[in-house]
Amino acid sequence: MLTYIKNIFNDVGDVSLFTIRFFKEVFKPPYEIKEFFKQCYFIGYKSLPLVAITGFIMGLVLTLQSRPTLAEFGAESWLPGMVALSLVKEIAPVITGLICAGKIASGIGAELGSMKVTEQIDAMEVSAINPYKYLVVTRVLAATLMIPLLVVFADGVGIIGGFAGVNIHSDVNMVRYSEQVIKSLDFIDVIPAVIKTFFFGFSIGLVGCYKGFNAANGTESVGKAANSAVVVASLTVFILDMMAVQIVDLFY
Amino acid sequence: MKKENGFIWKLGMFVTIGLLLLISTIYFIGKRQNLFGSTIHLKAAFKTVSGLKLGNNVRFSGINIGTVNNIEIISDTSVLVDVVVKKEMQKFIKTNALASIGSDGLMGDKVLTISPGIFDDSIVYAPIKDNAFIPAKSAVEMDDIMYSVKNSVDNVDIITSELAEFTYKLNNGKGALSKLMTDEKFGKTLDATMDNLKASSKGLSENMEAAKHNFLLRGFFKKKEKAEAKKKEEAAKKLEEQKMKKEDAAKKLAEDKKKKKG
Repeated sequence: MLTYIKNIFNDVGDVSLFTIRFFKEVFKPPYEIKEFFKQCYFIGYKSLPLVAITGFIMGLVLTLQSRPTLAEFGAESWLPGMVALSLVKEIAPVITGLICAGKIASGIGAELGSMKVTEQIDAMEVSAINPYKYLVVTRVLAATLMIPLLVVFADGVGIIGGFAGVNIHSDVNMVRYSEQVIKSLDFIDVIPAVIKTFFFGFSIGLVGCYKGFNAANGTESVGKAANSAVVVASLTVFILDMMAVQIVDLFY
Repeated sequence: MKKENGFIWKLGMFVTIGLLLLISTIYFIGKRQNLFGSTIHLKAAFKTVSGLKLGNNVRFSGINIGTVNNIEIISDTSVLVDVVVKKEMQKFIKTNALASIGSDGLMGDKVLTISPGIFDDSIVYAPIKDNAFIPAKSAVEMDDIMYSVKNSVDNVDIITSELAEFTYKLNNGKGALSKLMTDEKFGKTLDATMDNLKASSKGLSENMEAAKHNFLLRGFFKKKEKAEAKKKEEAAKKLEEQKMKKEDAAKKLAEDKKKKKG
């Protein structure tokens, strides 16, 4: 029992050290610009179709699901505003975070895990390349900067999905729809939602890298690293979301 | 090298479009709040703002032209409301404009309405200046409505109680009305009286006829007939004159139209 608790604290300490090391290394030259762009491309651009399809479906489904309830009050005209608000504030960030936890954290975890197992990381160290800088910093930074953008895309595509959903039952033109969407949004809705996605991205990248970087030796540990990266990253997204909403709630 | 270029421009496009989306969203929300673009400030002091909040709409002739920027309490009887209004609306808001607070629909938000004041043709009102005060028109409060409703309900209470008393008296009293409503014998008596009255009035008209032929009263009746005939003639003359006038007017109108067409 005691060793179990000790192990948990050990893990937490490890993660903290890992995080601190990231912040130490991120500002120190030399910068791995090329690798960073490459990771941005993989994390951002390559995830776009997945995120866009999810966002569109979420917007469409949310509109269709909430329409009957609002129609009961005769408040169908609030539908665009309500869908846009819930998309921007909560659904797009969290769904995108989860999708990226599944795609990116597992990818990074498996990649770094296999590199660790095949001793490529050790080989890097021998050939005087800082593996942490080359592998971890670029990936975490790319995830931190790309996931907010993906969320913005998911917002936009989700609102278009909402437009499609509204137009299934009634006839609203694009101008009126976008006017209602903009009318319902406020800075207090948009800004915190954007800020929290940076944290989502950071935690997804960091968890993936940590799990991969600290994979044990052996082939099965690669799978383990990828698996636990997804689980922990998804959980972190939810916990961060809860914290973010509570903090925003304090100010509003 | 070629391969690298292939992914870099895709990445660049992705980042650019994402940032553009974000910036345009922020721009449009900001535009709604009048943070961008030129604006003017107007002030109005109210006794109560009835739940007006920062960011509520300001309307002029039913158009949203701005938002509430600041609400500040000055003393226990006055609240200063500062609103931001689009600059292009400045020329339409005159110095005699009035500000009032109303609500947007039954459940909706409060809105501050700027309405044109009483218009007087003889005075040319200047457009309002930046930071100017608009006189406030006190809005109808929910409490006021409730108070007047209570008054009328009280009145209804009195009326119904009196009505109840009246009907009770009608049913159980011994007055004439209750007798009329309930007593069968009285009805029959009334019927008989009416018959008698009919017979007696017939007799009276016969008497009158006889009186007309009486030489003593003949002169009086003849005079009356003559006067009536005169009145009728005059009335006929007047009618004709009026007809003539109307025709003249119609002719004039027709001529005018012809002239205009010509």
